[in-house]
Amino acid sequence: MANTFTRTLAALTGLLMFAAIYMTFVFVPTEAEQGIVQRIFYFHVPCAWVAFAAFGIVAISGIFYLWLGGQIWDDLGYTCAEIGMVFCTLVLVTGSIWARPIWGVWWTWDSRLTTTLILWLLYGGYLMLRAMAGDSPQVARFAAVIGIVAAADVPVIVVSVRLWRTIHPAVLITKQGQHGLTDPRMVATLLVALAAFTALFALLLLIRFASLRTRSRLAALERELNLIDAAAGDL
Amino acid sequence: MAGFVAVLRKDLTLELRGGESTLALVALSILILIVMVFALNPAGGAADAPIAAGALWVAMIFAGMAGAARTVLAERDNGCLRALYLSPLDRGAIFLAKLAAASIFMVVAEAAVVLMLVLFFNLDFDLRLVRMLPALALGLIGFAALATLLAAISGRVHAGDLLMPLLAVPMYVPALIAGVKASAAALGGAQWSAMGQWLRIMIAFDVLFVAAGFILFEHLLGED
Repeated sequence: MANTFTRTLAALTGLLMFAAIYMTFVFVPTEAEQGIVQRIFYFHVPCAWVAFAAFGIVAISGIFYLWLGGQIWDDLGYTCAEIGMVFCTLVLVTGSIWARPIWGVWWTWDSRLTTTLILWLLYGGYLMLRAMAGDSPQVARFAAVIGIVAAADVPVIVVSVRLWRTIHPAVLITKQGQHGLTDPRMVATLLVALAAFTALFALLLLIRFASLRTRSRLAALERELNLIDAAAGDL
Repeated sequence: MAGFVAVLRKDLTLELRGGESTLALVALSILILIVMVFALNPAGGAADAPIAAGALWVAMIFAGMAGAARTVLAERDNGCLRALYLSPLDRGAIFLAKLAAASIFMVVAEAAVVLMLVLFFNLDFDLRLVRMLPALALGLIGFAALATLLAAISGRVHAGDLLMPLLAVPMYVPALIAGVKASAAALGGAQWSAMGQWLRIMIAFDVLFVAAGFILFEHLLGED
């Protein structure tokens, strides 16, 4: 089933992921102030990167679907919305696990957390639309519009949420940059983890996209068959 | 322009003769306001300004969700939506007309809500209410645009009435934050300058969603 390219990518992802896990747990020095829990950072940041990249592709494929048409763009957007949702969930979960020992709370209405949560809700709505409304070119157009509008809304959300929180005193230090990646090994680990998660993203994208493409082709064949049946019935 | 006027006039005539959308919107808004008063139990006095502002916006969003979408949803009956789509009108003009009609219904509802807000929270009829108006107007236009855009979707898919809040609330977050902040500042007696940054966010939101609706409405109207 899987072609050579998919297999190669899977092997590469496996290698990179193994390297990332090794570096995160063994190679990289423990951060002085936060201790062992800071290591989740090397999974948290790549997850966020994949989620945002995936949501970006949802919007771009939505534009191409409305502009050029073609089921392929709709399948791409759907795939990326699903993958983005998985990684956005992981961002929230890993962030929460980190926040409990460091900030003392599972959740705080910090600007980044709030923005991520709103994104999660937005694309949750997108996936609910697709789950409830089923498959049709009409629903594909609806989804494309939602994907575009959601992405266009993101900058406004970011600005408003940031202003919302700066009005209140910042109780907690939130900038990841402030504890600083002081050791070059930390930078190396982060880069390898980013590469691993990007490869994983590409792999998931490829597999899920292929399955959606097959489903679309099947649906097209079914429609064609129904037409032939109807024509035969007329004779 | 002629198309815009024609569709808007049709919707307003329909509303004047039946009037159900605006009445339902007003009733629902006031009910939500009462629920908020019970839930938050305001003590009375100046400290209530943020609570009053919050209650006002909750009433506007949740009543608006049901009410503002009516102008599009009403077109489903008797295949009117298809007739609109088949008409030679510019799709953007149809969107703007629907948006204008929804905004007018919401203005009526908001006027009633602000009146009840003053009574329920023992506010004064003074300059503070006037300072709240720009935020309210901008929030209303943005919400009407969002609701009109989404109604074309929610009205035509299975379980669409469930989808409407799922899609509308997260998208409306920036205008909601800015609107509540600006209204609370206004009711709390702040000057115009304190609201500037929030009003700018709301203008950005309104421009974005009116433009998005204008451009994308065409893709939502079509059938297969």
